[in-house]
Formats: sequence, structure tokens, C-alpha cells
Amino acid sequence: MSFLHINNIHKRFGETHVLKGIDIAIEKGDFLVLVGPSGCGKSTLLNMIAGLDDISEGDLLLDGERINDLHPSRRDIAMVFQSYALYPSMTVAGNIGFGLEMRKVPKAERREAVRRAAELLQIENLLDRKPGQLSGGQRQRVAMGRALVREPQLFLFDEPLSNLDAKLRVDMRTEIKQLHQRLGTTIVYVTHDQIEAMTLASRIAVMRGGELQQLGTPQAVYDDPNNLFVAGFMGSPSMNLVNARITRDAGVLVARIESPSGDVTLPIVRDRAALETWCDRDVILGLRPEAITDPSSANRQDGEIHEAELEVELVEPTGADLYVVTRLGGRGINARMRPGAPLESGQRARFAFDVSRMVAFDPESEDRIRDVEKASAEMPAAALDVS
Amino acid sequence: MSAGSLVARRNTLARALLYAVLLTFAVIYLMPLYVMLVTSFKPLEEIHQGNMLALPQDWTFAPWREAWGSACIGLECSGVHGYFFNSIKIVVPAVLISGLLGAFNGYVLTKWRFRGHKIVFGLILFSCFIPFQIILLPMARVLGILHIANSTTGLVLVHIVYGIGFTTLFFRNFYASFPDELVRAAKLDGAGFFTIFFRILLPASIPIIVVTIIWQFTNVWNDFLFGVSFTSGDSAPITVALNNLVNSSTGVKAYNVNMAAAMVAAVPTLIVYILAGKYFLRGLMSGSVKG
Repeated sequence: MSFLHINNIHKRFGETHVLKGIDIAIEKGDFLVLVGPSGCGKSTLLNMIAGLDDISEGDLLLDGERINDLHPSRRDIAMVFQSYALYPSMTVAGNIGFGLEMRKVPKAERREAVRRAAELLQIENLLDRKPGQLSGGQRQRVAMGRALVREPQLFLFDEPLSNLDAKLRVDMRTEIKQLHQRLGTTIVYVTHDQIEAMTLASRIAVMRGGELQQLGTPQAVYDDPNNLFVAGFMGSPSMNLVNARITRDAGVLVARIESPSGDVTLPIVRDRAALETWCDRDVILGLRPEAITDPSSANRQDGEIHEAELEVELVEPTGADLYVVTRLGGRGINARMRPGAPLESGQRARFAFDVSRMVAFDPESEDRIRDVEKASAEMPAAALDVS
Repeated sequence: MSAGSLVARRNTLARALLYAVLLTFAVIYLMPLYVMLVTSFKPLEEIHQGNMLALPQDWTFAPWREAWGSACIGLECSGVHGYFFNSIKIVVPAVLISGLLGAFNGYVLTKWRFRGHKIVFGLILFSCFIPFQIILLPMARVLGILHIANSTTGLVLVHIVYGIGFTTLFFRNFYASFPDELVRAAKLDGAGFFTIFFRILLPASIPIIVVTIIWQFTNVWNDFLFGVSFTSGDSAPITVALNNLVNSSTGVKAYNVNMAAAMVAAVPTLIVYILAGKYFLRGLMSGSVKG
């Protein structure tokens, strides 16, 4: 039995159907990140777990107990809000201790708990200040302290880093991850930032339009996306998606992609059984930028490299990498090359494609075309959990 | 001469003109107050000499003492002090209760929205636009039924009822811009309806509380129509007493006593403005940002 079980949950606001049957199950100690564009329903789902929004249909189970109708304060859940939501008229200590005070924890015990939480977050010297006198990062810490101090079963984070500047955001991200590792707590975290999702999560749930698109480990979601949306949403720079035609070339199943410098044919090695049925039909191919490199830095041990000569359209150095734009299947695609590769726009160069990482999508339904055995192994855990 | 200093000189000139205009208006507005003050400190003979603007040659507190303690109002000759305390007895509960109710209304209308909350707010708001005169007769009837006619308690009720519209408007607009996330956080922390109000919202409402107090205090203290309609004799507020004092002078008009009594009636509102005035604009602004 999973620790947090979101079972076929629906949310309706009058006529609008905001969440359309979400199924997610996670284990104790998991770090679940709900990620998706704004309006996908991720915050609504979080508020429903917290008890701040009603559940229209479905069950919410925490540690085996159905908590749909339990008052927020009795769910043993703490939440960190996007705006931090610190009580402006109370000191930092008052803010952190408020939850305990409401639960009638004796004063001495409360003070000790507040001190411990403050120590953990290194804000002991701020305990007597008011929220108005704190910087953004300090407020963030106080908000986390308020959640930590109650030692709840489940932590909820609602885009907690979105109000911080870029550098602080990266620091706090690391800190949240360390905190999670140290305390082993179960966390549900909402963000629209896919990098946050990748770095923090032990499980990612990608959502769009009130529907769960994919649930899995960050690597699985990244390498093995369920559909075009997930493929395009996760990763930065995003996955290259090009139109291609599946054909047979000397008995070998290949994908043929148009390009100004002559068609490129790449052999199909992944999901070959499924793609057999797509022979002589158009598909959309997905290839991560790091799966298209210069021949010298291609990963020949794990991957299966296929080279082609293409025209360089644009060169974008980032310092750590060199992104090269070329034209393929009517679109500009990004290739990640080693920095300092001697390339200039307009020049022809050899590109190494790692075809073992290539994925294909149905252009109509936008769903992934994948082998059947593989698909069943990638189904969400909740669907398998029949107990 | 450089262009810079020319501009600077033109600015100084404009500024001087501005101050001259402001000063003129200030003098015009302050003139009646000045006349009241100097008259209240003059003996009657000096007033009869005619120069209203002159400072008293012979300063005296006698008119103030008389106005406070021995001037005749109707048949009673004990000054306005009793009526002054009547007004205090009316204004304090009326302001506190209408303010608290308004704060509660604002809290519920913004943070615990219910079906039809907009209509309810619209109706409450509507009460701000009902003229005093319209409710005189129905209110007299209600006070009669409740057996609190001709008492300060009755006036307290009238002012609470009349004040709720405004206080609700103030607090609702203020709380509309108060972050909902704070209420949600408090709910998760285990705070209930009243705890959230008294511990989270109310301590953060100082600016709008000040606005409400100033507004209600001035309105209730300065009210004459309700006072004169619903009370008589001993239970009248000071505004009514002042009117009666001026009207019941027999023979020679004691202008100095009248002025002193008028000052007594005006001082509390002045004090409230001086103490809380700087919050007034700030609070009104903060309430009006979001509606």
C-alpha cells in the first residue's frame, strides 16, 4: 500500500472540469514534483491534498486513511506557500510556533521546537524579527521552518522558489534537496520549472489541462516521454522534434528526414516492433540535443551512432557547450557539441546521431509509438496497485 | 546668466507664488477658528466694543468655566459638561461596536465568501446612500418599541446601524487586498474562524482601524439631527446642548460663553484628527487600491 494515494481525483468549479481523474501513488520518503504549465491544475491538486479545496470526486488516502473530508489542520500536513504567507504582525518565532500554539503544545516545549527548527535552517538570529524586516531568502526559510516545526507526515510546497532571484533560487533548491535527504520526509512539490522538477524529484508527475501526462522517475520522464507534450516540456534546451517518414532501406527499417543538404536516413533501433507497423507513414521523431553531437564526442560505448553531413545554420556557445543549429525535417534543430569545435555558420559539418535515444510520436494523437512490453512497464504505479 | 540658473529662478518664483496662495487659503479657513478662540477669552464688554479680530486685552477663563459648569441650558444652569459626557457615552460604544461589526463583515465578505456575498455587500453599501431624514420616523418607532427612546443607549443603536455600511465598506476593501494565502496558512496551522480574525487579520489592520475610528468618531460626535430627534433634556448630546445654550440666552447674548461652549464641543474631534490624522490618508489609500 502506498503512502500517499491520489485515486481518480476530479475537480469541478461549476461547469469547468479542472482535474480529470488524477491517479498518483507515492511511497514514504518520496519527493513528488507536480510540474506543468500554468493552469494545468497542479496547484489545485496540491490545495486538495492540503484540504483547502474540496475534492469533487475520487479518494485521497494518506497512510491508508481516507482524508477527503478531514479538516486541513487535522491532516498532519504542512505547506509552504508561494508568497510564504508569514503572519505580518508576529515575530519569526511567533510565526514558526503558531501551529504548535494552536495545537496547545506547552510553552517550554514549543520554544524548544522552534529553536530546533530555526537551528536546522540557520535562522536562530532572526527569531525576534518581524517578517517585514527579512529578505526574500530569509522569509523562505521562515516559511519552511513553520512547516518543519510540526514534524508532519507530509510536506507540501507550492512554487516556493518562484519569488526568489535566480542565484538564490539555485541555492535554496540545493538546500531543500539536502533537507529532504537528511530528514527523509515525504514531499509533494509544485512547480512550473522543469529544471527544479528534474533536480529535486524522486518522482515527477507531468500535468497538462487537468490530466496526468506521465508519472515516473526524472530520468524515465526525460528519456522515455509518453507523448509529444512531455517530450517538449521537459529538458532545456528542449527536445528536437522533426517530421520524418518510416521506410525500409535495403531491408532495414529507417526514418527518412528531409534536409536542405539532402535527405538523412537514420536506422530505427528503439521501439522497432511498434514502428514496423508505421512503415511508409509519417511520424514525429524526437532527439535530445545531447544525442546529436560532433563525431569525436559521440558516446560510442552505450549509444548507437549514425553520422550525417549537414549545413551549420547558427553557432551558439554557452561556455560549457556549443549549441549548433541545423535544419532538418523543415525545422531548426539543436545539437550539443564540445566547446571549441571549429564550426561556423554556412559551413558543412558531420553530425553524429545517437539513434538508440531516438523516440517516435504519432503526429495525429501526439502519443508515443513504443513497443508493447515496454509500455506496460512504464505505466503509472497507481494503475498497477490493484490491492 | 546660464540657462540653469534661469530655470532655478523661475522655479523659486513659482514656488513663492504657490506658498502665497496656500497661505491665503489657510488664513481664510482659520479665520473663524481664530475669532472663536479670541472671543471665548474676552470679557463681554470687550466684545461689545466691536473689534472681532483684536486679541483680548484682558484675558479671562471665566467664559470657559461658565460654559462648562454654570451656563443655563433651558431651565437647567449647570453648563455643557453633562452633555459632553453624554456624547462620550454615545460615541465610544457606537464607534467600537460599529467598527468591530464592520471589520467582521469585511472579513466574512472577503475571506469566507458564501453564495450571494456580492448582493449582501451591495445591500450594506446601499445603506451608505440613505439620507438621514428618511429614517427618522421609522427609527423613532423602533426606539419606542425597544423602550430606548430618549436615551443615550438609543442613540448608540442608531449610530451603530447607520455606521455599519461605512465601516463594512472600509474593512471589506482593506481585506480584499489582504493575501488569502495567509488565511489558508492559518487554517493549516489549526486556527479557527475567530482566531484567524483576531490573531492574523486584526493586528494587521491598524491603518484601516484608524480610518474607521476617525470617520465614525467625527460623524457620531458631530451628529445633530439624530440627537435632536431622539433625545431631549438630560440625555441630549453636546451638539444639541450647544444649540439649546445659544437659543436659551435671555437678554444679552453671551457670545464669549457660546464660543467657549462651541470650542468644547469641537475639541474632541480635533484631538482625534491630530493624534491619528497621519494614518488617515494612508489608510484610505490602502483600502482603495483594490475593491
